[in-house]
Amino acid sequence: MNKKYRSVGRSIRKKGGVEKVKGDPVFAGDIELDNPLVLKVKRSAYAHALIRNINTEEALKIDGVKGVFTSKDIPGVNLLGIINRDQPLLAEERVRSLADGIALVAAETEEAAQLGIDAIHVEYEKLPAVFNPVEALKDGAPKIHAKGNVLFTRAVLKGNADDGFEKAYSIIEKEYTTSAIEHNYMEPDAGAGFVDEDGCLVIYASTQNPHYDHKELVSLFALEDENVRIIQAATGGGFGSKLDLNVQGFIGLALLHLKVPVRYVYSREEAYLATAKRHPFTIKIKTATDRDGRLIATRVRAVCNTGAYGSYGIAVASRSAVHGTGPYSVENVDIEVKCVYTNQTYCGAMRGFGAPQMALAHESQMDLHAEVLGIDPLAIRLLNGLEVGSLSGTGQLLTSSVGFKDCLHAIAPYYEEAKKSWVSTCSTPFKRRGVGLGAMWYGIGNTGVQNPSTARVTMEPDGTVTVFTGCAELGQGSTTVLCQIVAEILGISPDEISMVVGDTRYTTNAGATSASRQTYISGNAVKDAAESLANVLLTEAVNRLQVPKNTLVLENGEVTTTGNPDCGIGIAVLAGRIHDKGGVLSWQGYFDPETVPLDPKTGAGVPYATYAFACQMAMVEVDTLTGEVTVEKVVAAHDVGRAIHPENVVGQICGGVAMGVGFALMEKFEQGKTESMKDYHIPTASDVPEVVAIIVESEEPTGPFGAKGVGEPALIPTAPAVINGISSALNYRIYDLPASLERVLEASIQAGHFGVQEE
Amino acid sequence: MNMNYVRPRDLAEAFAFLAENGRDTTIIAGGTDVMVDLRSGELDTRFLLDISRLDELKGIRLEGENLVVGATTTLSDIYHSELLTQYAPALQKSAYNFASTQIRNVATIGGNVAHCSPCGDTVPPLVIHETKVVFSGKKGERRIPIEEVATGPYRCFLEKDEIITAFILKPVEADFADFQKIGRRKDLAISRLSMAVMVDRDSDGIISSMKFSLGACTPTPHRMTAVEEFMTGKKVTCELLFEGGKLLAEKMIEITGRRPSIIYKEPAVQGLFVRMLYPVV
Amino acid sequence: MNQNTVQIEFTINGKKVTTNIPSHVTALHVIREIMGLKGSKEGCGIGECGACTIQVDDKAVNSCLMLGAQLHNRDVMTIEGLSKEKKLHPLQEKFIENHAVQCGFCTPGLLMSTHAFLKENENPDRQEITRAIAGNLCRCTGYQQIITSIEAALQDESCRGGE
Repeated sequence: MNKKYRSVGRSIRKKGGVEKVKGDPVFAGDIELDNPLVLKVKRSAYAHALIRNINTEEALKIDGVKGVFTSKDIPGVNLLGIINRDQPLLAEERVRSLADGIALVAAETEEAAQLGIDAIHVEYEKLPAVFNPVEALKDGAPKIHAKGNVLFTRAVLKGNADDGFEKAYSIIEKEYTTSAIEHNYMEPDAGAGFVDEDGCLVIYASTQNPHYDHKELVSLFALEDENVRIIQAATGGGFGSKLDLNVQGFIGLALLHLKVPVRYVYSREEAYLATAKRHPFTIKIKTATDRDGRLIATRVRAVCNTGAYGSYGIAVASRSAVHGTGPYSVENVDIEVKCVYTNQTYCGAMRGFGAPQMALAHESQMDLHAEVLGIDPLAIRLLNGLEVGSLSGTGQLLTSSVGFKDCLHAIAPYYEEAKKSWVSTCSTPFKRRGVGLGAMWYGIGNTGVQNPSTARVTMEPDGTVTVFTGCAELGQGSTTVLCQIVAEILGISPDEISMVVGDTRYTTNAGATSASRQTYISGNAVKDAAESLANVLLTEAVNRLQVPKNTLVLENGEVTTTGNPDCGIGIAVLAGRIHDKGGVLSWQGYFDPETVPLDPKTGAGVPYATYAFACQMAMVEVDTLTGEVTVEKVVAAHDVGRAIHPENVVGQICGGVAMGVGFALMEKFEQGKTESMKDYHIPTASDVPEVVAIIVESEEPTGPFGAKGVGEPALIPTAPAVINGISSALNYRIYDLPASLERVLEASIQAGHFGVQEE
Repeated sequence: MNMNYVRPRDLAEAFAFLAENGRDTTIIAGGTDVMVDLRSGELDTRFLLDISRLDELKGIRLEGENLVVGATTTLSDIYHSELLTQYAPALQKSAYNFASTQIRNVATIGGNVAHCSPCGDTVPPLVIHETKVVFSGKKGERRIPIEEVATGPYRCFLEKDEIITAFILKPVEADFADFQKIGRRKDLAISRLSMAVMVDRDSDGIISSMKFSLGACTPTPHRMTAVEEFMTGKKVTCELLFEGGKLLAEKMIEITGRRPSIIYKEPAVQGLFVRMLYPVV
Repeated sequence: MNQNTVQIEFTINGKKVTTNIPSHVTALHVIREIMGLKGSKEGCGIGECGACTIQVDDKAVNSCLMLGAQLHNRDVMTIEGLSKEKKLHPLQEKFIENHAVQCGFCTPGLLMSTHAFLKENENPDRQEITRAIAGNLCRCTGYQQIITSIEAALQDESCRGGE
């Protein structure tokens, strides 16, 4: 990087870090309110049933119960969903999963709330339920929604796949499956609220998208915009699940009717039962190469189970289809992903929106092809990898910032070394080592739809700067990064900037903190606003310094001329003068990435303005006697465009790898069986590998200072790298996630490693 | 919740309380199992009798021929005990692998045994040390072999007016002793299977004695004497370990029948047996 | 509702306290709802996540698995007791410097575990550090920057300070 920046590219202290190490941040469960009522939801007893009657009379008689509400108490549109509206806040005539809420109880204590729940009598007419998406597609399957059981189908077609397969030298056809996954953010969902003196419902929420929450509450309760205020409380992780309205609607409903402070904190058990999961996928994939290993055709038929409601299912199907080729150039593409309703707990967004599931398939296929052709897994990825000038499956020409091969080259020395020395130095005869690669590409932002962000940067007449952004901070560091961007433009220290984040009364919509979009999109929005402000400061400085504007720069809190540090004027002085003249010191910024919607039949279009790329290498040791797997080390090279805050990027990569190890080896959510954290294992510190994070910076011309994103890309390559590592260790492949003790031991036995070994 | 908390000053007071209220009382020591059951609603009790402060129940000591471990000795104390390093290293290792630091700091060996989870990690090592568990009450004490404490999963032989006060182990300085377990992750995992072993060999490397117990696979703990007998008198080779492991799996299935989890456990107990004893080869 | 109560006396963050609490509540409940110290978190309620970790007589414990009544006569420290007035404990500084904090929900519990661990261990290796925090789950960081912070703390004698 040739340009020198003062804030961008530096790992400054995290905004709010001091508060966090003191335990001070106020999560929604911590907010002090005046004797808040406790809320609890009565949920369905059946996975699929008609509701004949709901009797709340007994519940209302219970000492301490202050209100019981059903769908009849919702004055507006009782339907939620950011993409398609199909999920009632409280069930009306039908329940479609065990997570469905039927009635809301507000009470003075937890105990009273529970007694209230138990005293609500619901008459059901049980309906046949279907849990498997393939079954749900059959004629005569129970119909879950009026429109049928297919929520959405995304096709991506390019060239002629049949022709490709005909010309192929090698064809590999396999089926892969992945499990439902629980996000397991450490803070179970929570919210709290009160009604202010103007009658506005004020709700503090653990959320990834306060402005969406606001919109939904206005619609649910038929209120005016100004009568709902969402404030993002400190939010203890989200990973996609806090994009849905988890407790916000219930808090709003209670406030609407009772007008006294309320709080709803999910127990971990309720968070497991009632919030979205990662879509389980079944992926049939057929890929073909020519004699040299060049991919010439990909055909994918995938089904993902969205459970009872859509949530982000359409986005998951769409993104997984677009990403089905992997980060490779493929001439002939025929991909179809179907998203299907069943009576499982609904599935929604989770870190990667279907791309991690698809990556298992395309990355396993790459290794299988390499094996058949006798070429190295790294070489086949280099041969096929996307580069500037490549056409994607949707026909998008990639014109810049394609750092995929840089990632592969960055991995190469570690890879060669690991294969050469690490694999063969195994300590006991009953352990086998393998090195696996996983690669990915990931479109930044929402798929082929507008997804703008807005922001405001304001300077007071005394020069103090405040950034107003609706961008929800989940811990990943967006507030710090946005602050750095503004600091860079204005030439001031990030410490001097106040950040107002996620409060719908003061901030404007930044869209969701999802799709790895906030650095790129909200980063550009704050940059736009800051540049407007910088422009008026520079204009004012021209008057004062009497030099051309293009020689002026903002640095160290001053406007100076390049090369003459003595000749400067403080921005506070400039701000005061602008203010006195009636000039504007508060600027709104906007950015929406340029995309072209995907053709509904062929998927052709420009789904994203830019892509992140990555390759990870996993060094895996398998115990052939027990099926235990140890991931010793992961080397992860990520093209992030530019790292605004390198240590935050590393933090995302390490966190993504950990989550990827869980996805690969141990995580599986089973409805009815997974009730508490005793039943669901996420990696502990002892389970995660050492991570060598390599930041590759292939500057994105439309990104703020060249930045793209990394949140989801961090996770995507890990599971395939681990699976490929296990395959290489055992010479036997696992096609289903997780690669549990059972599956790995079975693989070891099948491969002939279980038994007396020659040393 | 109409639960009462009772903290006796000494053991005699605890016995007296139980003699009176035993039927309505649950004993709490470290609380790591009781608190989970209270939260889930599985446990509803009128009295919680807190024995965690009773000094009479703490400590690890040699008493004549016996190694005595007090019932409220925590897993952390077990892990740090030099006496156990010398005389019961497998028990010590089971504490090393137990749950998490926070849980080891309060969870007690008595609680682990009394909970009668088939997955209790301290049980297989206690079995190989031919442990007698001391059940005490106002009426006196009785000593029960560790294998008989659990009458089934989560069902304890203890009478309602009794407390487990101590464990009496045979101290052994074996040539080789170990405890191993397999869980779904590397720490903070419930054992899918576990085992404890002690082996002595003569100068020719022939096994002169072996004690072996399997955990987490059978409803109640078992010492696997058939496996011990099979291995004793033989020189340990890799082949022998696989044969011994196979026999172990057969004996396990004789007890449990062919449940779905056997598909994994059958080879895995064999595998873990081989892995654990491989250093002896 | 008729609740049985029990009186407890204990020291919390250096302050002696006597209070009546319901007999059935957890130590976490006492700390959060009765003492009003909200830094300790409930992430699971069953001792699986460590977000509620506090120190009792210098040892890290899950406060969700301890009965409130069991705090009697104990010396308790929570995250609120780690920093003195406005000054952060050096260990907290290490966490900030090494970017060990993301969402911050697990952080108080992790700091309690780490602080207790450093009191008892002079020269732990990486594996010992890892095991010391294995009872504190974190879904954001992948633990690496946390472990780096602890390693940095080991180089700095002031991080072992007992307060």
